[in-house]
Amino acid sequence: MPSVTHTASVATAALAGAVEAQKERLLPCVHCGFCLPACPTYTRLGNEADSPRGRLHLMKAVVEGRLDAGSEAFRTHIDRCLGCRACEPVCPSGVEYGTLLELARHTATSKVPPGWLTRGLLAVMASPFLRGALFLGGRVLRVTGLAALGAKLVPALGPLRNARLGLAMLAATSPWRPPGRTSGSAAAQPMVPAGSRPTVAVLVGCVQEGLYSRVNDATIRTLVANGFEVVPVAGQDCCGALHAHGGDLERARSLARRNLDVFTAAGVELVVVNTAGCGAAMKDYDALLEDDEAYAERAKDFAARVRDATEILAEVGPRPGAPIQTSVAYDHPCHLLHAQRIEQAPLDVLAAVPELDVRVIANASECCGGAGIYGLTHPDLGGRIGGDKVRSVRAAGADAACTPNPGCMMQIGAGLRLEGAREGVVHPVELLDESYRRAGFYNGADG
Amino acid sequence: MNTPLETRIVRALNAIVGPDHVVTDPERLVVYESDGLTSYRVIPLAVVLPATTEEVAAVVKLLHGEGIPVVPRGAGTGLSGGALPSADGVVVGTARMNRILEIDSDNRIARLQPGVVNAHLTVAAKPYSLYYAPDPSSQSTCTLGGNVAENSGGPHCLKYGVTQRYVTGLTVVLPSGEVIRLGGAGRSARGALDLVGLFVGSEGCFGIATEIEVKLLPVTEGVRTLLGIFETMEAAGHAVTAIISEGLLPAAVEIVDNATIRAVEASVYAGGFPVDAGAALVIEFDGTEAGLDADADRAEACCRQAGASEVKRATEATQRAALWNGRKKAFGAMGRIAPDLLVQDATVPRTRLPEVLARITEIGERYELKVANVFHAGDGNLHPNILFDRNDPDELDRVERASKEIMCLCVEVGGTITGEHGVGVDKRGYMQLVLGEVEIEAMRAVKRIFDPSGLFNPGKVLPDPASPPVPAEASA
Repeated sequence: MPSVTHTASVATAALAGAVEAQKERLLPCVHCGFCLPACPTYTRLGNEADSPRGRLHLMKAVVEGRLDAGSEAFRTHIDRCLGCRACEPVCPSGVEYGTLLELARHTATSKVPPGWLTRGLLAVMASPFLRGALFLGGRVLRVTGLAALGAKLVPALGPLRNARLGLAMLAATSPWRPPGRTSGSAAAQPMVPAGSRPTVAVLVGCVQEGLYSRVNDATIRTLVANGFEVVPVAGQDCCGALHAHGGDLERARSLARRNLDVFTAAGVELVVVNTAGCGAAMKDYDALLEDDEAYAERAKDFAARVRDATEILAEVGPRPGAPIQTSVAYDHPCHLLHAQRIEQAPLDVLAAVPELDVRVIANASECCGGAGIYGLTHPDLGGRIGGDKVRSVRAAGADAACTPNPGCMMQIGAGLRLEGAREGVVHPVELLDESYRRAGFYNGADG
Repeated sequence: MNTPLETRIVRALNAIVGPDHVVTDPERLVVYESDGLTSYRVIPLAVVLPATTEEVAAVVKLLHGEGIPVVPRGAGTGLSGGALPSADGVVVGTARMNRILEIDSDNRIARLQPGVVNAHLTVAAKPYSLYYAPDPSSQSTCTLGGNVAENSGGPHCLKYGVTQRYVTGLTVVLPSGEVIRLGGAGRSARGALDLVGLFVGSEGCFGIATEIEVKLLPVTEGVRTLLGIFETMEAAGHAVTAIISEGLLPAAVEIVDNATIRAVEASVYAGGFPVDAGAALVIEFDGTEAGLDADADRAEACCRQAGASEVKRATEATQRAALWNGRKKAFGAMGRIAPDLLVQDATVPRTRLPEVLARITEIGERYELKVANVFHAGDGNLHPNILFDRNDPDELDRVERASKEIMCLCVEVGGTITGEHGVGVDKRGYMQLVLGEVEIEAMRAVKRIFDPSGLFNPGKVLPDPASPPVPAEASA
């Protein structure tokens, strides 16, 4: 049938394009090995095939035609990468590892499709209806306490251990309220005139909208309190990060184009993202759409307008709110620290909360093992990496873990919960929002 | 294509280290085909990743009994092909042996496994105000086991000396699989033949160190870092000569040329080197505070006399760190300029530096090759980096000829064929340039004592008895 032939040839062309795009990007790697100690999988497994340099070498072998992209070796080691991109900031040659990984996964999954769990989750995330239903179910389990109960009752080993982790992650999305009450003492702080700063839109996201809509609300309130005009943008969709990381570049591109269209039509100056993973993906829309003639230029312009929520707040120096007397153990999300190279901004945001005791945990620059759906697809290694992170969080002895990315919040939160730890999990913007609420900023006209 | 390892042997290896730590699938072995020197590629029969001395000993004993060659490997960052696999051999990697076993701060000694990353030792020693002195530029990733094998240096070995000075004890698995303990716990080499000294720098030909004891030094009180800017490499070379003949003892004197500066400044390791400079010198003094400023003033005067357009001082710790990061990551940053890179390593008498640099430039021009220089000027240890694209066969040929010519030039002015990267497989053909048959035969005799069957890191360091010396016309 002609249509089948056509589809096949399009797929072949896309694959050839992906291989060609890798070829160029692989050239700068001189095999120096400076990336090895930064890689969480290499430092734990010791096998160079599980290191960034090793994976790049496997990609090279595929590009050179020495290795089949569908081979078990290629698929396994490319799949086992967390995608944390900790290798990028240490690379003297500036190898674009994140983009290469997506292209390699695309090449591998074009030959052999990924497992049902990955395929299922990616399909659900790309459909507003399906993910709406999934997250509704999730919220029901959360509100009724069934998620927390299930996480307690399901045995740690055996066929249901993935379900146990999933339920614990769900339970971990419950809000955490810091101790203390409204003081109103900071109400004397100078007001920032409404709309005195750029007009922005906020990405509502998929997981974020489904399970952390309170973080979206907090983002909008704190932006407004700092003088930004926030425009609601209808028709926006999932950012496509999960799809790109999974090698489903076609779906990622189609989501990117949709977002690009609606955000551009809204005429906002900046697009604010409160999830590190989505922000990193949207800042990379230019690479994702580089071969799309109609979108390549627009994508470049768009990518330059994307800001992390903590980045934009820190840029203007967020106005301080009321004190909150509590302590938080801060962990850097990889896609903020390594992919977006943002280290200080979230700490600046937290510094705007008087009396808040912020403790950056040991090894805060290492991945928590959440890595999108890695915790579910690689429970052993992801669990081991997550276990180390939970130990670091607990060693900080704070009241809550704090990190600006839903995947990390769920991974760390689930790890804490399964250990029976008392610490909650909170997004930095949630704390700023609570600080503003206690200061009475939202009682007036601008709330 | 070699015959794969017999199933019986694979099973035995699996039984020793666990099947997760034995790699025999050729598609996976591809990642081990090179170390940091990618111009050589050989796929081994297997890679084994043991975790303890006992496991290493059992693996080595098994392979020895089967007559299978063994190639030790640390992080695989070496630049002379020292960890290049043998096609009929097995690579024994130390990546999983990455624990620091003890820091004895009172005695300023650390005991560790060979897979510990050099820089991680200094991080671990910091709470005791101690550090590990040898600082190869790859210290953020290279391992102590590899440092022992290569007797690694680094920028600060100008004042502090190389690895050998710091290794006080070793546990070694001999090629037969026997375990021996050399020196250690204050016994040092006194009262016995210095086998620790013999082992350090043996490039994996005598066995595998599975436990290493090293000396730590107290962190120095003060440090002064100068950045001298020059129009030409030659002028910078004159400044180096002047600083040394002044009788100054800097901790480090490093030189970077314009091509290197541009590569580094475009990278995440941008150190603040001016991109228009023809050459820059990084000069560092450390020690007790008293006298440091006077030393720095004298070095500055030497630079100005040699024609420096500017001499800056890093006043903040962050500035100093940035300069050093820029310098140490220069090799990796070269990937920005060209797809392939041949890092040479040779030493020349420091007084001949300006002349040698001028002649290297001339050689590069004659062969129409881009040569970037970044090296330890203070001890005359050159690293000309020849940049090329291996897909151009004509260029590849010119690279080889230019490289030989540079090597012959260094020997001709009284230098030698390696400063710190080792001989490995890359410099083996140059050995006869600096050593006579008698000396080489003496080395072969020592090698036979440790490794009578010649199964450990075969084809490295020592030239085969039959191999002809490098053609003489190369030095013409």
